[in-house]
Amino acid sequence: MAGNGPISGARPAAPEAQAPCPALEQGHLHEIHSQTEDRAAALAFALTHGPLAGSGAIFALRTPRRQRLPTLFSGDGLALLGIQPGRLTIVETRTEVDMLRAGLEAARCPGVAAVLMESEGRFADYDLTASRRLVLAAEASGTCIILLRGDAEPRSSGAQTRWTIRSAPSVALEADAPGWPAIEAELLRCRGGPAGGRWRLTWDSEGGCFRDADGQAPLPGAVVPFSRLRTDAGDDGAEQRQVA
Amino acid sequence: MGPSSGRSPDDGAAEPLALVARVGNALRLATVDALAVGQGLVAGMTLADARARCPTLVTRPADPVADALALDRVLEAMRRFTPMVALDAPDGVILDIMGCAHLFGGAQALAQQARALAGYSSRHGFGPNAMAARALARHGERGNDVAALPVAALELDDGALAALRRAGLRTIGDLARRPMGMIAARFGEQAVTRLRQILGEAPSPIAPRRPSAPIRAEARFPEPIARTEDVMDVIEDLLDQAARQMEARKLGGRRFVIRLLRSDGARQGLAIETGQPVRDSAAVLRLLRERIDTMADPLDPGFGFDAVLLAVPRVEPLVERQQAMEGEAARAGEANIVALIDRLGIRLGPDNVRRLQPCDRHIPEGAQTFVPATQAQPQSWPAAPDRAPRPLLLFNPPQPVAVIAGVPDGPPQRFRWRDRLHEVRLAEGPERIAAEWWRRRDGHQPGGAGRTRDYYRIEDGDGRRYWMFRHGLFGEETEICWYLHGLFA
Repeated sequence: MAGNGPISGARPAAPEAQAPCPALEQGHLHEIHSQTEDRAAALAFALTHGPLAGSGAIFALRTPRRQRLPTLFSGDGLALLGIQPGRLTIVETRTEVDMLRAGLEAARCPGVAAVLMESEGRFADYDLTASRRLVLAAEASGTCIILLRGDAEPRSSGAQTRWTIRSAPSVALEADAPGWPAIEAELLRCRGGPAGGRWRLTWDSEGGCFRDADGQAPLPGAVVPFSRLRTDAGDDGAEQRQVA
Repeated sequence: MGPSSGRSPDDGAAEPLALVARVGNALRLATVDALAVGQGLVAGMTLADARARCPTLVTRPADPVADALALDRVLEAMRRFTPMVALDAPDGVILDIMGCAHLFGGAQALAQQARALAGYSSRHGFGPNAMAARALARHGERGNDVAALPVAALELDDGALAALRRAGLRTIGDLARRPMGMIAARFGEQAVTRLRQILGEAPSPIAPRRPSAPIRAEARFPEPIARTEDVMDVIEDLLDQAARQMEARKLGGRRFVIRLLRSDGARQGLAIETGQPVRDSAAVLRLLRERIDTMADPLDPGFGFDAVLLAVPRVEPLVERQQAMEGEAARAGEANIVALIDRLGIRLGPDNVRRLQPCDRHIPEGAQTFVPATQAQPQSWPAAPDRAPRPLLLFNPPQPVAVIAGVPDGPPQRFRWRDRLHEVRLAEGPERIAAEWWRRRDGHQPGGAGRTRDYYRIEDGDGRRYWMFRHGLFGEETEICWYLHGLFA
């Protein structure tokens, strides 16, 4: 696999020669950092860039009191990404300690495909011990645990990978309509592998997954074909604007 | 027992009373009381007719569900006379008092007591079998003379009854003298069956409703026990007993109640509910431990517990499933997830463990609801292929933003949100979503429906995609407000 190759120190500025963006693996803990405004991008990356894209129950945990911007999952938006909303069980806790406890319990439960925890800000209760517990639970049951951390400083943990996700400008459709989702993923850390990669990924409506922008091999993990964004969106928009 | 009309004692007996139900497009009397019958009112009459005949008529809306419940209560109360109690649809009760009437001082005395216990005005009839008793109670005037009953007691359809009357047959006695073959040929086989049942020539069995024994188990101790672990051991043993009872009856418990009787007379209760019927004592015990952990006031044994009682007040059918060779792991996983949801629901409250369900509404925040995961129905999400895409996250509530638009009813060009100015690079829209006027009281009036929303999908200079709407139409509102409603990936 290309992912096992040496760190790309010898070829610094050659994005087309870069290894494809590694997927989030099952049985590990992954951290995804993002700004608050990029939360949807981070969530989309977490949901479609690994074992979550397949099937099985997903437990999404959050602490609404700690969130500065109260948000809800949108079933339509999830369906657009090829995730059946019925797979999600949304667990809301009062404190972050409760969230970690519930997340740990869900991760230990056989049959749960993935545990997705959202936090915002400092997240003081997530320390090396807590992360190590999550890692052990994930390894034991094969669950994928993803921690979305908004507006937070990276902290040392036992996570397998740590990412920063940012929204990237999309390729405009006709009549200046926003195009397919595009994100910029930066791999800050990868245990036992090269780190420091940076990828620009765009949504591939045919494959139902994110791909490298330069159209290389599709990323593993997602198979659900889902083409829902209208390709003629620009026309419609133009028409409507003429009518308006 | 005959038809009973619900009348609470404080109504006073002066005014005739009728219960009214809507049948088709007209309000009709569903049930009338004795006074109303005296005024010439019958069930089935339109309310307008009834009012014309009897202006003082008091009406109440008919409530069939409450009637059924009241009838159930009457039926349960009748159990003190005989175990053979059956429902006589639609509004009667049949008691088989064969061999137990003497315990209450004879049939008449029993009937008096039963009517007093039921608490409603009622009619009763005695017959050698259920069909005769029913006919006497519903159609008999006085006495136990079956032959004097009108042919209406056969309860045939209107056509057959009219044919009987045309033939000059007015009473059961008239009919009984005719050859059965002739009756069957002219008025249908059912007439013969009913006639023979009323006359006692054919059996008319009743199907008594038997009470199902409650599922419970208890343990009493010669010496009080105080250690929580010992109590849990006892509870586990009781759960095993209850599980065996439920297994024999193919049931599973949805609610388990533990009562702990302390030696000083204090009682403590502990209850859990599960999302699916269960009879696995280990799973229930785990839930109980969870409940004890979250209790503000954990088990306080004081000087020890004298007895532990377990009851399973809510049970549902649970059949043993065959262990299939394939898909076993998946099913085990599913069971684990249900148990996990139960555990989390007990610890965090069932309203905090939820699933998304689609709703048939077109306002974006109304198109989905969150329901407790234990009540969620597995269903696929409706696809809407000819609609503009929806964001992944919705703001709840929508965030107000300050917007500069190029043209008054055009897409935004620049907006300020969270103290940052965002330049709009790309925009698509508007997708117009009208307010749901049919949900408003004055929705059909102009201006009463609420504001229309014009949604735009926009992307700012940093590549972040937002869902934004203008609240209200340009020209109709004095002040146009913009809101940010969602984030796209």
